[in-house]
Amino acid sequence: MIDHIELSLTQSLDHCIKCNICTAACPVAAVTDKFPGPKYVGPQAQRFRHDRQPSPDSSVDYCSGCRVCNQVCPTGVRIAELNARARGQIVAERGMPLRNRLIARSELIGRLSCGPHAPLVNFGLSFKPARWLIDLVMKIHRDAPLPRASTYSFRSWFKRRRRTADRRPSAVSPSSEKRQVVYFHGCSTNYYEPRVGKAAVAVLERNGFEVILAEQNCCGLPLISNGDFATARKYHEANVRKLLPYVRQGIPVVGTSTSCTLTLKEEAPEILGLTSDDVLAVAKGTYDIFEFLRELAERDELNTEFRPLERELPYHPPCQYRAHRLGRPVLDVLSLVPGLKLMESRADCCGIAGTYGLKTEKYQIAMDVGAGLFEFVRGSGAELALCDSETCRWQITHATGVPSQHPIEILAEAYGIER
Amino acid sequence: MNYDTIVIGAGIAGLMAALGRAERGERVLVLAKGHGTTHWASGCIDLLDAGDDPLGAVERLAAERPDHPYALAGAAALERGLERLRAACEAAGYPLVGSPRRTLLLPTAMGALRPTVLVPATMAAGESRQLADGRPTLIAGLRELRDFYPPMIAANLRAQGFAVDGVYLRLPPTDRSKEFGPMIYARLFEREEFRAEIGRQLAEHVRRGGYARVGLPAVLGLRRASEVVRDLQDRAGALIFEIPTLPTSVPGARLFHALEEALRAAGGRLQIGSFVQRGEASDQETGEGAVLVAVYSEAAAREQRHGARRWVLATGGVAGGGLRAEHTGELRETALGLPVRAPASRAEWLAPRFLAEGGHPVFSAGIAVDAALRPLDAAGRVVYSNVAVVGGALAGFDPIREGCLEGVAVATGYAAGQL
Repeated sequence: MIDHIELSLTQSLDHCIKCNICTAACPVAAVTDKFPGPKYVGPQAQRFRHDRQPSPDSSVDYCSGCRVCNQVCPTGVRIAELNARARGQIVAERGMPLRNRLIARSELIGRLSCGPHAPLVNFGLSFKPARWLIDLVMKIHRDAPLPRASTYSFRSWFKRRRRTADRRPSAVSPSSEKRQVVYFHGCSTNYYEPRVGKAAVAVLERNGFEVILAEQNCCGLPLISNGDFATARKYHEANVRKLLPYVRQGIPVVGTSTSCTLTLKEEAPEILGLTSDDVLAVAKGTYDIFEFLRELAERDELNTEFRPLERELPYHPPCQYRAHRLGRPVLDVLSLVPGLKLMESRADCCGIAGTYGLKTEKYQIAMDVGAGLFEFVRGSGAELALCDSETCRWQITHATGVPSQHPIEILAEAYGIER
Repeated sequence: MNYDTIVIGAGIAGLMAALGRAERGERVLVLAKGHGTTHWASGCIDLLDAGDDPLGAVERLAAERPDHPYALAGAAALERGLERLRAACEAAGYPLVGSPRRTLLLPTAMGALRPTVLVPATMAAGESRQLADGRPTLIAGLRELRDFYPPMIAANLRAQGFAVDGVYLRLPPTDRSKEFGPMIYARLFEREEFRAEIGRQLAEHVRRGGYARVGLPAVLGLRRASEVVRDLQDRAGALIFEIPTLPTSVPGARLFHALEEALRAAGGRLQIGSFVQRGEASDQETGEGAVLVAVYSEAAAREQRHGARRWVLATGGVAGGGLRAEHTGELRETALGLPVRAPASRAEWLAPRFLAEGGHPVFSAGIAVDAALRPLDAAGRVVYSNVAVVGGALAGFDPIREGCLEGVAVATGYAAGQL
């Protein structure tokens, strides 16, 4: 079978005029020459990559996948996708280190960490000697920002809440009249930050939606970015099976993790080469939550009964959001909240890139990449920073000491939702 | 979200137009596929390759060729546009020098002299009148920077009668060992210890050779170029001037940043990485063409719709990507599908000789417009009443051969900002 995506990637190679704008803009190449830059490992090295021949160069492993190259390329070469596939080919040839296999399973780790025993897990992972050992044995950097597990999962909260609501039927009106959305929470909201999911549910309900908690699993992005395409394919196909019935009914899938929503919309279909009608239907039916809210606002359907928030906060649009190529939905929507002022970060990347900055050999690169952002956040003097992506939030807080939240939490606050 | 004006394209023409609209108090968005041709060009402003008085030549050209973009925009728009551009660069701490009444001749990385009009102050000391003052000049570079050969530049300048020597400097110790593109150098030159070592070497050469000035590749800082050049002059004890390199062009990126900052300060927004692929016309009949109500940019999984009252198309010509040659032998305008004025058949695109005196007809192809820069069809009727076309996308001129790429961008971009 002809892989149409492979074909379009290969054809996009010929659009490269070697102007090096991507290399000039690459935040990783700017701080280390372990990564020779997107042009070399992408369109240039691709000429030397062939099926059934060994990969010529492993420096592509230092690509963080931030996609700044795609964004600035004046001729439309799909550099980040080329790099992701090249990494996949290396993993297929040489196998995947145990460390990467572990950190790519965010759902498994989350499930094991979350629950009443979470304080114990969190203590263990903040215990310096333990982190030294993990660093030594597993090559996960001892200072890298690991999230703190929650004592309860978002799903358990949601189900509990529904049971309570069921006993009081007046609290939730019959669903037949209501518009419905499926909420895609992702692993981080489920196991580490249920508060993000609670805010999302509350905001969607304030806008008259009934929120459905569909069965779902990890979107597979950590597997894609670590090059395990075979497992990522299984994950994505499972999500498509679970979400398709809703999408076919015209019920949108809305997520708070920009990287999960990007994976459902584009990364999984394109990088993994999944092109069935079902996969594309799920892609077309998936929205990042602020994209969804902005569309409501554009149709004058957004509930704008906000209370004023006299706050000025730094906001970092994460790489994965920019890769949606939608502008700044968060700024557009939050500009409707009276009094709230967001200072937009102009930094390209926080450095963490999912699991990239956790790795011992890449931790310092990630911290150097994010230096400009950290300076911006510290310099803002604000007590809180906003960012849509969970790993970026953890990185920002790790590097600056400034707590960080998902913008949906501020929107919930503007609706006066008690949490 | 609705805008008063949306500009498509983020080169000089698009940014000048956006700046003009934003300064009139409009809500302005710039949509662009990637970084523009600023990053490919020298960072100088060429008006017209025609004798000593470029503005006078522009006025004569406008009288002789009523279809030329200069005739449509008018010499006054060119003058006022240049003033606005200078003010934006001044505000960014990166002054431009020169006068539209005088042609400057600056050395290229081949050692040829190239006519231009406004140049960054960081290049001024290399102007041919200064090189001819009888005092010797040194051209210095680093072997690690590709495509910049001081001995060749010096030899070619000597052949034109100037007293010039060329040397390679030793690369100061850095944490980098492999990748040395122009942008990497620009960042290195912003480090004091790097400059100090270069300065020591230059001072030694100046002391021994009695050089009055030193030409270096145009990589002397990205955001703080004026400061870097001043500091190097103090250290070297001679004037320093920059010579444009091959792309990626650091002076071009500085020009982009200066205009971007001015636009943001005026409240405008930029969305880079969003390729506009079609427009939507209203069915309302104006008697003067249709009304463009929205455009759609490529995005993950589905297009993004953008609405505005007024539009500026600044996507460039054949080189800039605004016009594409189809395999059918036709030229297509990529964003809105506007009618292209081009040679009647593929066979007439190119003259038989590569260096044909009159140039190649295809490079004068573009969008024909009326006096208000509105696009016209083959019969001369207005296509859209609320669209202005600016810069390289326009028909009726050959920007490279005529040496007027930036001048036309400034004049028409400024004019569209004031309409």
